[in-house]
Amino acid sequence: MTPDAPPLGRFVLRTLCWLAPCFALWYVVASALAPVTGTLAWGLLDLLQPRLVSALETTGRELAFVTSLRAPAAMGRSGVLVIEVNPLLYSYGTALFLALMLGARAQWWKLLAGALVLLPFHVWGVAFDLLAQALRLGPDIAVQIHAQGWRAEGVAIGYQLGSLLFPTLVPVLLWVGFCRAFVTRLGRRTGTGDALGVPASGRQ
Amino acid sequence: MTRFLATFVVVVISLFIAELTQPVQTALVLPWTEALVHISAGLIRPFDDHIVIYGTLMQSTRGGFMLSIEPGCNGIEAAIILIAAMLSFPAPAAYRAIGILVGLVAVQTLNVVRVISLFYLGQWSMQAFEWAHFYLWQALIMLDVLIVWLIWIRRLPATATAAPVEAGAAANSAERGTMTR
Repeated sequence: MTPDAPPLGRFVLRTLCWLAPCFALWYVVASALAPVTGTLAWGLLDLLQPRLVSALETTGRELAFVTSLRAPAAMGRSGVLVIEVNPLLYSYGTALFLALMLGARAQWWKLLAGALVLLPFHVWGVAFDLLAQALRLGPDIAVQIHAQGWRAEGVAIGYQLGSLLFPTLVPVLLWVGFCRAFVTRLGRRTGTGDALGVPASGRQ
Repeated sequence: MTRFLATFVVVVISLFIAELTQPVQTALVLPWTEALVHISAGLIRPFDDHIVIYGTLMQSTRGGFMLSIEPGCNGIEAAIILIAAMLSFPAPAAYRAIGILVGLVAVQTLNVVRVISLFYLGQWSMQAFEWAHFYLWQALIMLDVLIVWLIWIRRLPATATAAPVEAGAAANSAERGTMTR
């Protein structure tokens, strides 16, 4: 290890220490961010299928999308579907991102910029959660969202990406991107971190 | 950096989509998920025999709480990310193979801890269970992947890495303008 390589253990410890306060901050801010995420998800859904959502209701940290989808009900009647989505399922990676950034002692503007960059991925998660829920309601609903054949597969993959990969992977990639010099030094023993593309002069 | 990221994203998405296919689910994902339940229950039983398992389900015979190991809980996505990160980084094949094997053990060991902790958290408080399940453990598993990857890079043999680094130097020099902080 080169003398200026920062100790990995210390970085991990700092990150773990920051994780709890970052989760607390994320949870507190989540109720204020829920309408923003919901509105942007509505916009994305409008791009995918115009007029699919007719209204958005926010209760605390929960989102309820009033859709134009009609579900058959008893006695030959039908009702409009309201689909609820928990946006926290897609945004908890923000807490991890903030903890990593604080663990790396990154500049404050990068924390804010990163949190902003993560927002579209939260929006993706919420939008595809709604579509996946609609798809699971059966063929009557799938027809209404035009999710048959490869489009149904697309919704399933979009949902899996949004729920299983994006929430944790994107924050880490973003951290690597924002703290390249730090990551390079952290991972460097004898210049191996150069594969991340940071020149000697660019290191902190 | 660009080459590493591009390779990483391609490998992650390829492995992720492969994981979702029926043959991989049948041959790998479901058997591993069942094995995870057996391993977790096997570790719990010496201390607490109030546990029964059915396929991918673990149930407490004391309070009736049942835990179902679903996609996203079996550590396979974390394993995919780790494998992709190691495959995308220039390293000798043998070192890469050892890294992947050791890394998978590290990730799955923590995942067993996650399953066991969730089994008891769920019996104690559903609110705590949901917090740990949906948010906290997800972040911790990802942090584990990151730490394993960083340790792996840190221990990369110097002689073995000289060639890839030098080979990458020309490509990197073209990118340096945008790489510095």
